[in-house]
Amino acid sequence: MLSIQRTDENPCRPRHFKPPPCAPIVTDPESHTRIETCRTRMLVAAALFLAIFAVVGLRLADIVLISGAGAAAEPRLTRPKPVLPPPERSDIVDRNNMLLATTLDSPALYADPRQIIDPQEATRALLTVLPNLDAIRVYADLTSDKKFVYLKQRLTPQEHYDVNRLGIPGFMFESGWRRYYPFGSLAAHVVGYTDSDNKGRSGVERGLDKRLNEHTGPLRLSLDARVQFVLRDELVRVVQDFDAKGAAGIIMDVHTGEVVAMVSLPDFDPNHPGAANESLPPGAINDRIFNKVTLGDFELGSVFKIFNTAMALDSGVSTMTSQYDARDNIRIGRFTISDYHGKHRWLSVPEIFMYSSNIGSARMAVAAGSERQQSFLGRLGILQKANLQLDEIATPHYPKGKAWSEVSTMTIAYGHGIAVSPLECVTGVAAIVNGGIWHPATLLKVPDGVEPPGQRVIAEKTSDQMRKLMRLVVEFGTARFAAAPGYVVGGKTGTAEKNAHGRYEEKKLVSTFIGAFPMQAPRYVILALVDEPKGNKETHGYATAGWTVAPATSRIVSRIAPLLGITPVDESSPDIKQALQVESLAGKRIEDY
Amino acid sequence: MSRVGTLFWLALAMTSCVIMFMINYAVQSLQGDLTKVHQQTIAAQLEIRVLHAEWSYLTQPERLAELNKQFLSLTPIATRQLQQTITEIPLRTMPDPAVEKTASAAPAPAPAAGLELPAASPAGRGLDALFAQASAEPQAAGGALPATPIALSAAAARPAPADRGLDALFMQIATGR
Repeated sequence: MLSIQRTDENPCRPRHFKPPPCAPIVTDPESHTRIETCRTRMLVAAALFLAIFAVVGLRLADIVLISGAGAAAEPRLTRPKPVLPPPERSDIVDRNNMLLATTLDSPALYADPRQIIDPQEATRALLTVLPNLDAIRVYADLTSDKKFVYLKQRLTPQEHYDVNRLGIPGFMFESGWRRYYPFGSLAAHVVGYTDSDNKGRSGVERGLDKRLNEHTGPLRLSLDARVQFVLRDELVRVVQDFDAKGAAGIIMDVHTGEVVAMVSLPDFDPNHPGAANESLPPGAINDRIFNKVTLGDFELGSVFKIFNTAMALDSGVSTMTSQYDARDNIRIGRFTISDYHGKHRWLSVPEIFMYSSNIGSARMAVAAGSERQQSFLGRLGILQKANLQLDEIATPHYPKGKAWSEVSTMTIAYGHGIAVSPLECVTGVAAIVNGGIWHPATLLKVPDGVEPPGQRVIAEKTSDQMRKLMRLVVEFGTARFAAAPGYVVGGKTGTAEKNAHGRYEEKKLVSTFIGAFPMQAPRYVILALVDEPKGNKETHGYATAGWTVAPATSRIVSRIAPLLGITPVDESSPDIKQALQVESLAGKRIEDY
Repeated sequence: MSRVGTLFWLALAMTSCVIMFMINYAVQSLQGDLTKVHQQTIAAQLEIRVLHAEWSYLTQPERLAELNKQFLSLTPIATRQLQQTITEIPLRTMPDPAVEKTASAAPAPAPAAGLELPAASPAGRGLDALFAQASAEPQAAGGALPATPIALSAAAARPAPADRGLDALFMQIATGR
């Protein structure tokens, strides 16, 4: 141990003062060698540090002088990218990229009453820019002893700016995202709406909620806003003209299954799903949010004769020249099947279709048999729930298993005793007119030039025959008002009485027209349906499909065909006439129906 | 000597210190600018979103239809206003009886003659003759000659001088029809 000599043995030193240890005074040679050892060690340590600093210095020189010379040319700065605030839900656009739904920042206005200097003045000022606020409530809020009161949710950008410009201390904004639907109720049922947490509640907003939150760019629908507008415009007119309860319409591309327009009336404004719309009959909110096209189950009546005839022709049970006895009503069980436009004679297949003979159709169906009928409707997807990007999809109603009796076979032939959604019906008709390929309906844009794979459900020849028959109905049959000059419309009307509690009500009709155009090479299928129309003076009191939705279809087709790029043709030209002529009727005088 | 060295190093240290701080402050201020630009970008992006929505709102079909009713009164295109192809546009009628007379009086021109006529006719009457030729030829050809010579003459007329312009083009189409 080193002996330390304490030199401060001063009796007068303060009690707590301890002098620092002093350098040892070396006295003996042994200690001297020890100090030498220490010194050597310190030298080693110093050399070590020097080496480290040298490395650092060399590295510095390397960075600055050698490799730095090149790096200076292109500065490697990692800049933070400007990013939009996160809670962004994808926009929804139509097939032409028109905005159908978007998310905007719409702040909420709140106040801290303790910071408000003059509540009266603040209220007065606020009311000048937000006149819809309740002055009494605002004043009460501003004079309350709370620390935080909401004054208005969801300001528009203009309101935000105006309130800010007032410059009143104590008014503050809370940022928030909100879904906006610039087209309002135009495509309300397809697009749907979201709740206050921006969660989809109906339509695509709900059906594709996950996709919309994936930040993968705007969602492009198959809808065409212009076509949608025309369809809605004309259906609104039908509802008003015939004082109807509602209407539904759908236009579908026959080659892709794309839904180009889909309207259900009455509808709602997705910006304010709860608010009423004055231009339409008043109804409960649920009634307006209800999508008749996909969620509605209707007995569509005679339009089902399209399926029945296609089934009979495709199975080979009937040909275009087959005749069926339609002289007398059919009495089976407690039912009587009669004709609306009775001819009371034997009718050929084209005549049955054209005059919409229930008796003839029932006999055709019986000839084909119930099994064929079931499997045919099954192939067309009419007996299953449709698969679409919406959650609002109806389950079709029809007799299950043994309940599908001979009576069912007969009534289903002309569209009674089976209730399906208009969407399923249109999807089936699209397959029948497009050459026989069934495509599932879709609300998403199919890339241009791509024809999605489908499955063959009927022969091309049957499809060809069905086109001729559907054209016949518009040329000479019940749907003459559906003709749109130049666009060769073909189709089938259906007027069904509504089934309420097992009884058909004569005054409550569902009138439907399903058509396709241009019939020589169909591109679009259109369905127009009106719920409980009432006949008016112009239609001589008729509320049947031929008088209500058929004329509307004519107007719709004339308006949308130019938008869809369909060139009109001369309907009386020999080419068209020949392509769409029913051979078995050639040269015959066609009776009035 | 060591004092001069010390002073030198001290000065160097001070200078580098000052420079370092200056650069540091410059970078900080640039960083601030960058952040501000980023904020402006985001604000602009938000504004663009609002403007997109507004544009969409202002161009909604229903509103356009109302504005149209109010100011323009345009109606949907009628079928008769739509022509399928250029061939459906009627040709201009040529009121020159003299030419027509000669054309119809002349013996049915052989297809080969039809080829030469446009180039050979006098300059002033060239176009009229061309039209007369065009209208006379199919009649003359009648049922006897198949469509080929007509198509041939149309094909041959193509290299005709460019100054004949659109009318010549229509003529070609008409003969080819």
